[in-house]
Amino acid sequence: MTVLVFISKRLGSLLVVLFFLTLLVFTLGKVADSDPVRTYVGVNASAESVEAAREELGLDNPIPVQFGSFVVGAVQGDFGISLSSKRPIADELATRLPATLELAGWALALTVVIGVSLASLYSRPGRLGAFMRFVFFSAASAPSFLIAMLSVLVFYKWLGGALPAAGRSSYGPYDDATGFYVLDGMLHGSPTYTWDAIQHLLLPAFAAAVGSGVALARVLADGIASSLRSPWARTARALGEREGTVLRRHALRNASSPALSLLAVQAGFMVSSLVVVEQVFSWNGLGSYLSGAIGVGDFPAIAAVCLILGAVYVILNTLVDVALAAVDPRVRLS
Amino acid sequence: MLYSPKRTLKRLERPASDRPEGAWSALGFGEKLSLVAVAATVLIALVGPALMPYSAIIPAGEQLLPPLSPGHVLGTDVLGMDMATRLVAGMQRSLFAALVVTLISAAIGTLIGVVAGFRGGWIDTALMRFTDLFLAFPAMIIAMAIAAAIGQSLGSAMIGIVVVWWPLYARLVRGEVRRVAALPHVQAARVAGVTGWRLLWRHVVPAVMPTVVVTASLDIGAVVMTLAALSFIGLGTPAPAPELGRMASDGMKYFLNAWWIAVLPSLAIGLLAFVFNYAGDALRVVLRRTGV
Repeated sequence: MTVLVFISKRLGSLLVVLFFLTLLVFTLGKVADSDPVRTYVGVNASAESVEAAREELGLDNPIPVQFGSFVVGAVQGDFGISLSSKRPIADELATRLPATLELAGWALALTVVIGVSLASLYSRPGRLGAFMRFVFFSAASAPSFLIAMLSVLVFYKWLGGALPAAGRSSYGPYDDATGFYVLDGMLHGSPTYTWDAIQHLLLPAFAAAVGSGVALARVLADGIASSLRSPWARTARALGEREGTVLRRHALRNASSPALSLLAVQAGFMVSSLVVVEQVFSWNGLGSYLSGAIGVGDFPAIAAVCLILGAVYVILNTLVDVALAAVDPRVRLS
Repeated sequence: MLYSPKRTLKRLERPASDRPEGAWSALGFGEKLSLVAVAATVLIALVGPALMPYSAIIPAGEQLLPPLSPGHVLGTDVLGMDMATRLVAGMQRSLFAALVVTLISAAIGTLIGVVAGFRGGWIDTALMRFTDLFLAFPAMIIAMAIAAAIGQSLGSAMIGIVVVWWPLYARLVRGEVRRVAALPHVQAARVAGVTGWRLLWRHVVPAVMPTVVVTASLDIGAVVMTLAALSFIGLGTPAPAPELGRMASDGMKYFLNAWWIAVLPSLAIGLLAFVFNYAGDALRVVLRRTGV
């Protein structure tokens, strides 16, 4: 019963947060300092065409009505018309969302790989541990675009194009594509296409994953260290368990709960590093769309991207909370 | 007290004016090093721009000179502006902006947290609902949306970050205030008849401030990086303003042939963040060890 109550409570607050997120983004659009109609028709347009554009964009309606249609549209995946390209924003998003999600998925997987494999190095005693902490701090303080640029310099320039440094594929999409290139390659039974897509993914995913991977390693290492000192770890040792078993079966599992909730937070940070990394690697995802829209002051497009990324983040957090509650009774009772 | 180690007794006997020296010698080598590095970085950012022979926004030589060229230690950029000058000026900008953002966020969050934690009741509930709502928002995305709505400048990026940063302090401070309010010294003050603002400012807030200061010092590095990311995606002041994130993204067009234009500003951001992250962590470790 408690799990169901917890889930329904979380779903309720999810809806509230999504509503206020929409309200905030809408309000920002209203107070934005650039006039959307002017951006739409250009500075030299006549008064009549300005008036016509105002009507076309629905800006002559009262504000509450505009908000209502914004919400209804957003729920249906319709975000209005881009001020710069004058085409529906949803069309653009449809091709770019899979690109970002594919990159985010790989980056998240790499984060876990980096985090788990470095966690044991972090808590080493002595010189090696101190050196590793120094390296970790450097990696955690490096902006993701620095890591992205350095990896391009090393793997693309100095190693003579060992890995591709721009775009998603050397071949372009299939006609009936899902938009996830690795998946597309596998669906069409083309190892060359799949391998090519994976190669294109490696560097950007790595650049986006380093920061959060190191953060994950720190949390895991702290958790493992305190678990290994706990009474139940001592009991397990007293019962004759080997140190490796204590580490894997007792310490790592207990340390994974804070690590999991950190991972949800990191997924939010990853969104921001993805926006940056996409720009470095000319990755045609939401991030490069966002920075393009910022450059020309296309606020409806900015709002749409922020709304989608924000919704993904909020929903992901809810899922992690529910997963934690299912695993750990202390969470749902608190 | 009699059986405590000699040093403890000595420290207790020593006049209060000697304490800072004692604190310095309690630090390990790495911790001292990190504090010296912070001091050096702040010094460079403070006085560096004044010492540079060139202007940060006026071309000063040939275009695209590589680092270690005569007269331009770190080379020049596409327009021939001196890189070293621009980097130092950019560090000053970043550091100043990060300090202001951290200070304002901490102030707003502390105010709301103190009011919520001290007053309790419906004010507490309302303020914390509001705070939790902001905490549930994806920080970076909201900061981007706000900065984009206000316009492309360092100031709007700073406002965007403040809006998403204060809730962290509000939550923290509220919890601390509630903890401190239950401590014996506050209870004693209550019994002695101290109430209201006087109780708050004299007995509760001073006990909460160390936590806020430590958290703020740990945050500076993160704020530097967040500002840089916003600036990188175009939400900072456009060129020729010496803004590190913007310099990096503008330099990206040329960086396969002239790596230093894009990589050096990114390194400068990394250096700032690293120095503050490392010192902040050292501070945390020291405080945990000395039990302050």
